[in-house]
This record gives sequence, structure tokens and C-alpha cells, in this order.
Amino acid sequence: MPKRIAWLVLLAVLSAVCCCGPEKDAVVFSVGGAPAELAFWEELIRDFEKQSGIPVELLRQPTDTDQRRQGLVVALSASKSNPDVFLLDVAWLGLFTASEWLEPLGSDIDQSPFFARVLQLVDIHQGKLMALPVYLDGGLLYYRKDLFEQFDLPGPPRTWEQLLSYARTVQSKMRKTNPDFYGFVWQGAQYEGLICNFLEFAGSNGGFINQGDRICLNTLKNRRALAFMHDLIRTHGISPPSTYTEMKEEETRTYFQSGNALFERNWPYAWALHQGPESGVRGKIGVAPLPALKDGESVSTLGGWHIGISKFSDVKPRALKLVEFITSYETQKKLLLHLGWNPGRKDLYSDPEVLEVAPHLRQLRAVFQNARPRPILPYYTQISEIVQPRINGVLAGKYAPEEALAAAEQEIATLLERYDTK
Amino acid sequence: MKTERLKKSSFHLPGRPARVPALDREQWIALGFMVPLLLFVVLFILVPVLGTLVDSFFLDVTYLPKRFLGLENYGWLLRDPGFWQSVRFTCLFVVVSVPLEIALGLMIALVLNEQLPMRGLLRACVLIPWAIPAAVSGRVFELIYNYSFGAANYLFRVLHLTERPVNWLGSEAGAFLALVVADSWKTTPFAAIILLAGLSSIPDDLYRQAKVDRATFIQRFSRITLPLLKPVLIVTLLFRTIDALRVFDVIYVLTGGGPGGTTTSLSLFGYHYFSAGDFGYGSAVSVILFLLAFALSIIYVKLGHFEREVS
Repeated sequence: MPKRIAWLVLLAVLSAVCCCGPEKDAVVFSVGGAPAELAFWEELIRDFEKQSGIPVELLRQPTDTDQRRQGLVVALSASKSNPDVFLLDVAWLGLFTASEWLEPLGSDIDQSPFFARVLQLVDIHQGKLMALPVYLDGGLLYYRKDLFEQFDLPGPPRTWEQLLSYARTVQSKMRKTNPDFYGFVWQGAQYEGLICNFLEFAGSNGGFINQGDRICLNTLKNRRALAFMHDLIRTHGISPPSTYTEMKEEETRTYFQSGNALFERNWPYAWALHQGPESGVRGKIGVAPLPALKDGESVSTLGGWHIGISKFSDVKPRALKLVEFITSYETQKKLLLHLGWNPGRKDLYSDPEVLEVAPHLRQLRAVFQNARPRPILPYYTQISEIVQPRINGVLAGKYAPEEALAAAEQEIATLLERYDTK
Repeated sequence: MKTERLKKSSFHLPGRPARVPALDREQWIALGFMVPLLLFVVLFILVPVLGTLVDSFFLDVTYLPKRFLGLENYGWLLRDPGFWQSVRFTCLFVVVSVPLEIALGLMIALVLNEQLPMRGLLRACVLIPWAIPAAVSGRVFELIYNYSFGAANYLFRVLHLTERPVNWLGSEAGAFLALVVADSWKTTPFAAIILLAGLSSIPDDLYRQAKVDRATFIQRFSRITLPLLKPVLIVTLLFRTIDALRVFDVIYVLTGGGPGGTTTSLSLFGYHYFSAGDFGYGSAVSVILFLLAFALSIIYVKLGHFEREVS
């Protein structure tokens, strides 16, 4: 008797395993993020299921961007049909489109509510719409309004030179009572964020990494920008020595938030936290576009998450419905109100209800209209891994700017030579 | 005696003529018990290792057509300054951290081997760092080394050792030592426990006899403890060396390879390529790491004269 039960159990287990196999009608949607974000996504998905009758399965990913990319790269390079829909970091679009992992979204989608420049630079590949922005990000300058008043400074700095002089003045006065006070905190640790910061300094001086397929890293403009970053820490001393060892977004945010800095470069997410009940700078801060080097113009690196459909999906029409739902006015508004995500849709930036809750969106609109993405190249991640240690090495005093940029350019050239299929 | 044992075993020693042995019932049962383990080894160790080896002969980048390269990936690696930087770092890390961990571990083991009150509790406490995942202990050390609110700088300030806080991870040497300290803190207990097991298997009589012969502590240690501990010592060295060669988590958390890429280990170097979708090149790095570990293992096994016990 017990033997027969054992067989039955085995049979049940086997059939259960088989049933989970190829036949599937749910759309598998891969999202990463903090627990609160995932909980809210779960809620949104349930709404969609009720509205459309299409079942959706949420595939949870970690918070860390690199780990999310790795998870998707492994599944997609094995041509797996799961996940069907996923969020992509703006920096991956070059890789994903060149690898032919994205299904074009089709011409039925109305592109007019989105930022045309963002779609043009990032989402449209060979005339086809491959993804849509869900969440936009761009570098901003946060500053202490109260200290500006106290030390009688005019408005936020337009140029890096102004920032430098304001920071020096305030820092030398504040140091008398607060030895930990620094003029300007930004992200200089060896990680992806360093590239975003570098491109803003360099961009405001007219520099960049590439022109199409041609890499032009070791240019006078880039060298000057990099030397300026070095000097902020080592010559002028207005950025802490830990800038190049530990400063990532969160470290910068907490530093500024505890009242120990005059300026901060960070993404828009910091706004809500700076204004939160636990913050030491609540109600004392302002936000402005990043300064430019003399004669240059302010540049903000475009960040954020886009949504796309996998080429290998077996439920593409349903997946498209989900994409339409997530990029809809109502959902984007919910994401903004609940998670503070800056919408990918331009039309929300003039919604009065939204502006009442998030007044800083007025400035963000202008920032996003001019934000510049990182190079959209399939080998962008490799370039970033090559450039990061070199730039970080300059900040650490290990290399001169020229030496670092020349070495990085050489390494990138070797990489491309290796990838050159003849 | 020897031939009889051989006949019964289902394995062939190299050099013996291979014969398909007829298995009796008992041997079939024994084989049945071994199959799950063999399957496990083949599926989770042999297949991935061979897969990595095969992939290292290809240009395998997500967005490019897959192409056979032969040994070209290795050629590129040998000309890659980033690769050599990571080889240098990894070797230096092994050479500094492993002896340090073994020496400290041996000291702790010697103390724990004495008749101390609450010896069981002490032994358990020593193991705590080993039980903490490396990523977590990495975070803990991040808080210790933190420039503005770290425990290390707090201590230095309170003791008036420095006026300005120290940027521990800011220089090449500083970051290297910080990593060695963090890694040793975590892995010394492992060495200590294995060595302790070795120590407790040394018969007490030997020490009593030595005492009768008026041997000093140092003589007892170098003439009795060390020689008898040697096999265990070699095994511990082997484990720690292989582990230190593939060091990853503590670096990933603490320095991310910085400053200026000076603390990039081989594992981290290869990982960057894997996560960027360049599987062929990443595999070649893994294969080299594997060969390094393999070569060192052989040297250790030779040093330990383990063949003698086998034959």
C-alpha cells in the first residue's frame, strides 16, 4: 500500500513538472529593484491582469544594474523565451539591439507623447522603434539654498569656475565649525557612475568618447575635463579624498544629506530623500542644471530604464499590450506618485496634479530635453570597463590625464581589433 | 593481496591492462550508490569545466557571429595589460594572504588545543567570521574603512594618531593591505579549525616523552608538532591557495577593483567580460585561472608526498 502511494506521488510530481514546460500563456515580465519597488510593480501587474485578462508573471531581479544586465544577457544569449518583457538600462540598448534580442514594437505606437530626442538617440534603431522609456534620469546639481543666503552668493553657478569659487569661499568658512565640510561631492569611485560624471565634465567642454564608430577619447577637451576632476580633489581640495574610493550615488547622497557639503551632483531620485523627514537638509536645498566649463554648455548624462520585448518571446501580441499599459499616461503617473520615477512621457511634465507633488519636474523637463546618452555601441560595457580604472587612476594620482586617456584609447583599439571579424 | 583488491575494485590503475570486470551483485549495488555522486560531478563540474575550455577557443560575443579562433584568445590575453595587472595582483594577494592566514590560524589552533576553560565555546566563537558570507563581511569592512564615519578613522582620531582622517583604500598599497586584512579576518578561522583537527590527532604520549627528555617548547613544536602536522598543513595550504587565487567577493564589495584598477583580481577581470557578453575571452581567463590552481595543487601534492600513502 505505501508503495502504491509513493508511485502516485512520483507520478503527480512528474506530471506537475511536465505541465510547467513549453505551454505558457502568461507574459513573463522581468523587473529589478528595491523591495518597495517590486511590491508596487506587483500591484500594477494585478491591475493590468484585471483590465486585460492577460496573466502576467513577475520575474524578480536584484537592485544592482550590472547583475540585472548579466541575468538578461545569459537568458537571451541562450534564446530563452523567458522573460518576454523586461526593463533595460539606457546604456544596454546598443548591445541589445546589435545582438538582435529586441522585437520592434511596431508602427502603431504613438510616439508623440515621448521626448523625441530620447527616442531618436536611444530607442530607434535603423528606423524601427525597439523600446520605450519608462523612467528617465539625468545628472543634476543640488545646492544648499540656506548657505547661499548666509554667505550672500547669487544664484546657482553657471560655470564650473563659479562653482569652484563659491565652494572655496563657503568651505573655508564652514570648516571653522565643521571639519568634515566639503564644497562639492560627486561620484568618482571605480564604477559605471564615474563614466556618467566624466561625460558631464567632458561634455560641458565639448568632449565625448566617440563619434560614431570612431573612438576619440584622448582629446584636448577630455584631458582638460579630466584634469579639472583631478584638481577638484587634489589641488583645490573642495571634494573629499574619498571621492575616488567610495563615492557612489548613495554615499554622495548621505554625505550631502547630513549637511556636510555645499554642492552635490546626483540623479533626481535624491530630491525626495533630501526633502524627507529624516534629512538634515530638508527645505534647505535647490536644484539646478549642472554647470559648464567656460564657453561650453551644460550637459547631463541620460540615465533611466526603458522597456522592450524579447525577440524570443512566444506571446508577443500580449507582451505588447503590457508594454502599452506600462507606458500609458495613467501607469506612468502612478509610478511617479508612488515611486518617484520621472516619467518617460513628456506630457506628464505639465500635469498640474503631478507638478504640485513634484515641483522639481519643471527643471527636469529641460534637463531631459538636452540630456546626452552614453555611447550607444554594442561594446559599450567593455569600453566602460576599460575607461573606469584609467579615469579613477587619474583621480587617485596614479596617472596623468594624458597618459590615462592614451592608454584607454589604445586598449579600446585592441579590443575592436579583436572583435573585427574578417 | 594487492592483486586481489584490484580485481574487486571497478577501477583500473593506469598502466594495468584494461579488463571489463564482471560485476557481482554487491558491486552492482556499490555502483548504484556511486551513480548519484558521479552524475553530480559530471553535470556540475566536468561539463561546465569542459564547456568553458571549449568556449575559450571561440570568439563568442553576443552581438557577433560565433567563430572558431583556436588559441587566439590566449594570444590576445598575453598582450592585454589589464590581464597582467590582474595576474600580478592575484599572485601578490596569494603570496601575502595565505602565509599570513596559515600562521595566524596555526597560532589560534595551538591556543585552542590547550586545556582551556570553556574550550568548546571558544572554538565555536573562532568560527564566527568563517560563517559570515564574504559579501557581508566585505560590507562590514567597508564600514570600518569608510573615510568619513568609519570605525578605523574614529579610532585613530580618538587616539590622536592622525589629525585628518586616513583614506584607507586610496592608495595602491593601502587598498591591497585593506583587502588582505579583510580576507584574513574571514578565512583565518577556517585554517585554525582544520589545523586544530590535525593537532588533536597527535598523540599526547609523544609530548610527555619529550618532556621527560627535557625538550624545550620550541623543540617540541619543531620536532613533533610540525612534522606530524605536515599533511594537514599542506591540505590547508592547498585549500587556502586555491580560494585566494579566485578571490572575488571581498574585492567586488570593498574596492570594485579600484583605485585605478590596481586591485582587480583575475576572477574580477574575467567576470567583467562575462557580464559584458564576451564569453570567449572570459572563458579564456577562467581556463588560465583553472590551470594556475591545478599546477599549484600538483606542486602541493608532490610536497606532501601523498602518493606514498596511496601506493
